[in-house]
Amino acid sequence: MSSPKQHSNRLRPLGIAVVAIICGTILILSLPFLQAQDKPVIAIKGGTVLTMAGETIEGGTVVMWEGKIVAVGKQVSIPEGAQIIDATGKYVMPGIIDAMTYYGVRPFALNDRANPITPENKVILAYYPFGRMMHGEKGIVKDKEILSGGVTTVYIAPGDQQVIGGQGAVVKTYGADYEAFTLREPAAIDMCIGDPPKQEMTYIGARPPLTRMGIATLLRKTLLGAQQFDKKIKDYEEKTDEEKEKMPPPPRNLGMEAVIKLLDKDIPARIESDFVDDIRTAIRICDEFDVDLIVDSGLGAYKVKDILAEKNIPVVLGTPTHPFVQGGEVSMSPDLYREMNDYNAAELHKAGVKLALGSFSFAFGGFGYATSGRWLLIEAAYLTGFDVSDEDALKMITINAAQILGVDNRVGSLEKGKDADVIILDGYPLNIKTWVDQVFIDGESVYRKEGGPK
Amino acid sequence: MSIIKKVVLFSFVIALLTAMSLFSVNPTEAIALKGALVHTVAGPPIENATILIEDGKIVAIGQNVSIPTGAKIIDATGKSIIPGLIDNHSHMGAYVPNDLNEMPQPIGPENRAIDALHMSTPDWDEAVKGGVTTIVTGPGSGERMGGQSVTIKTFGKDLETRILKESGELKMAINGINLSHIPTIHSNFLKAREYLEKWKKYESGDKKGPPPPRDLAMEALAKALKGEEVVRVHIMWANDIMSFLKLKDEFGFELQFIHAPEAWKVADEIAKRNVPVICMPIELAINVPESLLRGIVTLHKAGVKLAMHSDHPVSPQKWFRINASMAIRYGLPKEEALKAVTINPAEMAKVDDRVGSIAKGKDADLIVLDGPWYEATTPVDLVFVDGVIAYDRQQDKKLSEEDL
Repeated sequence: MSSPKQHSNRLRPLGIAVVAIICGTILILSLPFLQAQDKPVIAIKGGTVLTMAGETIEGGTVVMWEGKIVAVGKQVSIPEGAQIIDATGKYVMPGIIDAMTYYGVRPFALNDRANPITPENKVILAYYPFGRMMHGEKGIVKDKEILSGGVTTVYIAPGDQQVIGGQGAVVKTYGADYEAFTLREPAAIDMCIGDPPKQEMTYIGARPPLTRMGIATLLRKTLLGAQQFDKKIKDYEEKTDEEKEKMPPPPRNLGMEAVIKLLDKDIPARIESDFVDDIRTAIRICDEFDVDLIVDSGLGAYKVKDILAEKNIPVVLGTPTHPFVQGGEVSMSPDLYREMNDYNAAELHKAGVKLALGSFSFAFGGFGYATSGRWLLIEAAYLTGFDVSDEDALKMITINAAQILGVDNRVGSLEKGKDADVIILDGYPLNIKTWVDQVFIDGESVYRKEGGPK
Repeated sequence: MSIIKKVVLFSFVIALLTAMSLFSVNPTEAIALKGALVHTVAGPPIENATILIEDGKIVAIGQNVSIPTGAKIIDATGKSIIPGLIDNHSHMGAYVPNDLNEMPQPIGPENRAIDALHMSTPDWDEAVKGGVTTIVTGPGSGERMGGQSVTIKTFGKDLETRILKESGELKMAINGINLSHIPTIHSNFLKAREYLEKWKKYESGDKKGPPPPRDLAMEALAKALKGEEVVRVHIMWANDIMSFLKLKDEFGFELQFIHAPEAWKVADEIAKRNVPVICMPIELAINVPESLLRGIVTLHKAGVKLAMHSDHPVSPQKWFRINASMAIRYGLPKEEALKAVTINPAEMAKVDDRVGSIAKGKDADLIVLDGPWYEATTPVDLVFVDGVIAYDRQQDKKLSEEDL
């Protein structure tokens, strides 16, 4: 009777040989790639490609290499040796963009409560990409949070409890090094006009603002201060070298330097305001100082749709099903219910206002929830029930969001030369039963649904 | 009838009324109001008069007015018509979301009520029902200098057309007797005078060198010093009134007093300096000995120009008219009381070119009453704002009958 041990002993030399041959073959086959590139060529074949750049391609192919999209189309030659992903019967579209979140920032760190005006604060410095939601870790992650919703790019903002919270940033939802995953920083300066930054009149000596008047005055003073600071610097720079030696340069001021970027129109002001009256105030102040404006949340924006369209002011709407609509303002002021209108997005769109959707959701480590951000596709689908076309709804979470955030040169659509942020869905994107199968960021597969493509 | 049915019917009626009111917003249509006793305020009352409204303006008033064909004729026989009421000091729109007082900033003349204006509160509709068509609404009295008010109509197509004056009327307040209140205001006016001098020097010179740095607060006060803005003071005691009159003597700004229950004690001093008083008879009747109500007549006899205010929400905007009635009860002549709620506040807010009386060329803001205008029992039948029916009691009555 031969023991199993003996049996295995007899087979061992053969096994080693087989393993050696397989390894050798793989090594030889992959040599050209190892020499030429870090990332392989990936071709997603056969799916319905929603490029968001105009046309939809039935049975199209998307080729990605070195983190970029190198070809999109029906007749695309796939390089030899490319990794081919069969997406027949599936939908391929650009990664979803959430135009307004508080992701990755400790909720307590969102606001500098002692100070109403902190334009010098940078949200990117408080951003923590290693939590459960944010996937700083390399490799395929198993948690099904933001990536499982196909969200690949987000705007992160400081909180809304201050009049000027600080500088926001546009980041990708994957990666550990903020220099690598940041698309634009600063992308805007975040402000709020409305109830959130107001202090309760609990004790004498509370810091301003207590009222909307105070908010407006603080904004005006800050912008005026920046104008004067800018002038001081320019006056100094115009001096001759001799004069410069005699007198010191004006002292630096990080906050004012940031606000000057607004005045120079390098970045826009993003003002969160829900009541139409507050939106008007935002427009009034930005007009006074000639500053670009993006209205955030904008529950009552449809009441001034023509003004917004005429002045080319985009609106980042809160998602329709958010439990507090957003920012908690509705629960704070019953009057805000009068402002709400399910057709807000449709009315604004018809008037010609550029729109994006923002989840305004929090997510940090194990805390908080990213639900509304995760289901951004379903939020967009909800809008299509209220006079928004499917295409427009999808644009609000892809190319339009990218344009509003000023990152449309890199993300937002499937076009040659753009970042390879691609998602594969197992059905029509706006169907309730559709799931995201696979997510690529910079050409790297960062998420796969269990049971999805291997 | 079940509650659900009632609710459904009620909402239907509201929807219908909304639709009807939207339909009636058609200012291009000519309207003729016929047969009423018209208190024009611009002149003596006209009996059996006809008012012709076109494009939101009054185009003719008199006993012999030819009505163009196609004009909508409203029979107002037996009724009286007065101009839309003007409340010279209110906090409507800023009170509800608590945007009145920027407490941590006691000197904030640069604050502007327009930035805090809240248009979706139901108070605006209530004001229209009471016949109040224009209000000056502004910051509260929690600070020494609260900010600037906005003059606005209570009804209209959109905010742009409703606003008569976006900012002005620097609101200040002296609360009770406090050692620091007058000196704080005094020193800020001194600062503003220096600021103004600096700018005048810069502008009258050849504008060499850098301009003086802008300061929003000083800019606002400098406007008062230049006579472009009015200073309005919430004030209570006679000694504070005297102190403020002396500030006026020193700086020469245009001054108006609000509340001022003790103004009558220094009526001559006030009259001498041409300072109008914006009073609130309802408040006086509630808060102070009744005898002080007679002070309003004292002021009038001394030659002080009077206006009235509701200080909404201190007294409801809707019942603003009762202020004039109370003043009449304590001896103010009827025509003076009417002026105090129409043309006088319009002049004080510098919007009398558009509102405040029934005259050719003015905005068609008027109210039709079913009886003498000053009686508390007289209901408001119709309210016109810019020639549009903003309130119709017939429709309101129908609503309440359905509701019951």
